[in-house]
Amino acid sequence: MTPLVQIRNLDVIFDTDRGPVRALRDVSFDVPRGKIVGVVGESGSGKSTVIWSIARLLSANGRIVGGKILFDGRNLCDLGEAALRDFRGRQASIVFQDPMTSQIPVKSYRQQIIDILYRNREQSRSQKIGHALAMMRRVGIPDSEQRIDQFPHQFSGGMRQRMGIAMALLMKPQLLMADEPTTALDVTMEAQIIHLLRSLQAEMHTTIILVSHNLGLVAELCDEVVVMYAGEVVERGPIGAVYARPAHPYTQALINSDPARVTERRRYLPTIPGDLPDVRFKQAGCIFAGRCPKAFDRCRHEEPAAHVLEEGHDARCHLLDPRQVASSSVTAASRQEGWVPVDPGSNVAATEPLVRVRDLRVSFPGRGGLASLLPGAQPAKIDVLVDVNLDLRAGETLGLVGESGSGKTTLGRCILGLIPASSGSITLRGRELTRLSEREFRPLRENMAMMFQDPVGSLSPRQSVRSLIVEPLDVHRPKGFDRDAVALKLADMVNLPRELLSRYPHQLSGGQARRVGVARALALEPDLIIADEPTAGLDVSIQGEVLNLMRDLQIAHNLTYLIISHNLPVVRHISGRLAIMYLGRIVEQGDCEAIFRRPAHPYTEALINGIPQPDPEHRRTLASIEGEVPSVAFRPRGCEFHARCRYAQARCREEPPEETVLSDGRTIRCHFPLTG
Amino acid sequence: MSVTPSENPASAALAANTFRGEGGRKLRRLLGNWQGLTGVVLVMMFLASAIFAPLLAPYDPNALDIPARLSGPTWQHIAGTDQLGRDTFSRVLHGGRVALYVATIGISVSMVFGLLFGMLAGYGPRWLDNTLLLLFDVIRSFPTIIIGLAAVALLGPSLNLILAIVIVTTIPAYARLVRTSTMALRNTEFIIAERSLGVTLSGILWRHILPNVIGPMFILAAMDVPVVVTVEAGLSFLGLGVLPPTASWGSILNEGYLLIRQTPWPIVAGGIPLVLTTLGFTFLGEALRDVFDPRLAKGH
Repeated sequence: MTPLVQIRNLDVIFDTDRGPVRALRDVSFDVPRGKIVGVVGESGSGKSTVIWSIARLLSANGRIVGGKILFDGRNLCDLGEAALRDFRGRQASIVFQDPMTSQIPVKSYRQQIIDILYRNREQSRSQKIGHALAMMRRVGIPDSEQRIDQFPHQFSGGMRQRMGIAMALLMKPQLLMADEPTTALDVTMEAQIIHLLRSLQAEMHTTIILVSHNLGLVAELCDEVVVMYAGEVVERGPIGAVYARPAHPYTQALINSDPARVTERRRYLPTIPGDLPDVRFKQAGCIFAGRCPKAFDRCRHEEPAAHVLEEGHDARCHLLDPRQVASSSVTAASRQEGWVPVDPGSNVAATEPLVRVRDLRVSFPGRGGLASLLPGAQPAKIDVLVDVNLDLRAGETLGLVGESGSGKTTLGRCILGLIPASSGSITLRGRELTRLSEREFRPLRENMAMMFQDPVGSLSPRQSVRSLIVEPLDVHRPKGFDRDAVALKLADMVNLPRELLSRYPHQLSGGQARRVGVARALALEPDLIIADEPTAGLDVSIQGEVLNLMRDLQIAHNLTYLIISHNLPVVRHISGRLAIMYLGRIVEQGDCEAIFRRPAHPYTEALINGIPQPDPEHRRTLASIEGEVPSVAFRPRGCEFHARCRYAQARCREEPPEETVLSDGRTIRCHFPLTG
Repeated sequence: MSVTPSENPASAALAANTFRGEGGRKLRRLLGNWQGLTGVVLVMMFLASAIFAPLLAPYDPNALDIPARLSGPTWQHIAGTDQLGRDTFSRVLHGGRVALYVATIGISVSMVFGLLFGMLAGYGPRWLDNTLLLLFDVIRSFPTIIIGLAAVALLGPSLNLILAIVIVTTIPAYARLVRTSTMALRNTEFIIAERSLGVTLSGILWRHILPNVIGPMFILAAMDVPVVVTVEAGLSFLGLGVLPPTASWGSILNEGYLLIRQTPWPIVAGGIPLVLTTLGFTFLGEALRDVFDPRLAKGH
């Protein structure tokens, strides 16, 4: 049987102000019928461009300059606009990364569905709706009769993505293309969507192309994988073979640098040093040669051919050339394999904690006035944080984990005095912070810094990197220090190339901007750094670099970290202790490894089971947790987790659990902890 | 898709050069389309003719040439003369100075106050925002000409009164623009990041908000110049603006209107520069918006 999609020698160019960018070069791979093919790569690898080329929806400055895309034997590059439109709706459809921007905000789902089904002229309107309702139930949307009349903004992120999948499948397409379908979702939602896609595929035999940077997701879902780097396919093959025996150095580095694979805290994460090549210019030799630890002379001059390793598994690398034997002497083990010199947790002071949070409560005003008297209206006050107790000891790394909306960012910002506390206390070295005015707080800011979630967006856009880095000193130190010397010192400390100092934030890559953020946080040599999603938006290879850097700096400066993240592998890798938040409460808190090994709270267990493992041999069979995070405006009675809890009993529905201490020193809020 | 240049020195130098050329690239894009080019040429003509009016004008604008009164275009008077025999072309050139004066002073003062009020309304407490908004809306609810008539009736006609009216009536537009962009900025992560460093309120407004809201102001200002020029012309046309014998485009049109049965030339001569200036600044504003609007900017 011929493959459904055959891509042959595809070349795509984007015309930009700075000249043509050769976004895809000589891309060839097959998508067999009824299989799930994963396209993985970091940002700039051209993985999404592949999808847009197949759908022939490249942006206006992009064009296909060579090669062909055969769909069922038909070359899509030859189709006219009318034929393409028919192809897109009927035979292929797309699930987007962010359904909020890809679904029409001003139309109800009922109208959107009727628009999609306009081709089925033989169907009556009620038949169409019936068909749609069946599909909505199939993808797991409850109360579909009511919800079909709602608008995208009335759906939660996970439900919206389910709806996106339902609408994509309405016409029963042969090919479904999913572009990072779970990137905008929480871990528990991601697990649910993986489960859904897998069961839908088994049932409808749809062929799926999945584009993702998440190796775990690809391992969980796909049958075959295509690894892309800087616009070229470097390796492709069956999922088991590629993950077990990666042949290309890039694939090896990519798989090795996934933090989910490195759980020991003292190990450095492997990284891929260097940046993407500038694809405006034709590269001599192998595209990866500039960053490849195993590169030798031939790699820089001669483009490698695809070498077949086994049935259906090939990679483009000179090392795989059977005639190439001599120079496979690999460079010595670099820092990538190394271990952290000292255990960063060892010098934690056992005495008075650096930061102590007690019974902290943060409320935001709800809809006030007359609206609050209406039935079903929001309460006048919405509690975002409830009775939070947290100790942060000097020199330790505490991971703060939870789904979006759990209040973890609010807690971080509240400690820094950026959000006022409603009641409770926060002390820094015994000094009460909650009642300080901004003027009184300012001198304390020297000792506490924050790294923000968005590496580029947290830098003031019209300031140069130099003035951004020096700014903390401008604010807190007397005038007259040597700005240039300080800027150079800080840039060197975070491995930021000095020539970037005169650039502006939008000219930096995510990893470079993140390093600027770290430099700003460290400029005043603070004791405490609160890092909000320090690796969000970064590629796997860069992520390792940032985490290693933070680790080194912690040892050098005896820093205390509060790491806020939803990325459990990252948190596990870097934290000594862990606090899990749910709906503004800390439900479990204690030693990180102990929690990962034996979670005591059912929610923690669900989160840990929800991590997609980059190991296709050990796929999970069940979605780990049902349902969604309730709104903080309408908190459930009793234990707030009971509706989603597998172990919930009658008592959980009535009585909220108090904070209790377990025998190993963990604190937990659960009536029936999973461990003694 | 973002393409990051690699870290080797050659491409870093290249990137540094492209950055240095960023202003130049914007200028090339501005002059690259016909609207931008026409706009720039017309605005330059307006500025040059107003600034160098004393050198360019063949006659004193108030000099009388009674024998040649009410003439059409001749070799001596290329745009004809009015009922007192004053050279219309010279008067138009000098009238441009009045327009330029009102436009530059009026708009720059409104921009300064608009920025100040807008940032305060956008960043300050809600009661301040509400108060300022109410004030802006009250001002905007009166037609400019009506406010002008009332003010002139109270205080008597003068150029500076026109200026004051222009300033008061245009501030709300700038302030509202700045307020909206300030509000969008105040909860962005970079402003929260600046707060976490302990940057003072004035530091945040001056160094981090101002540079990000000022771009759209210049676009609005370019589009506002013709509005201000026509307000001045309109009030002068009604006899409420500059005092005779000072020439302004509005007063030339006014005189031309009275003489319409004798000669059409003053109206033609006073109307053409008004039309060209309006067109020039409108084109310039539109082209500036295309260049600076990030949504239309390609790549980065």
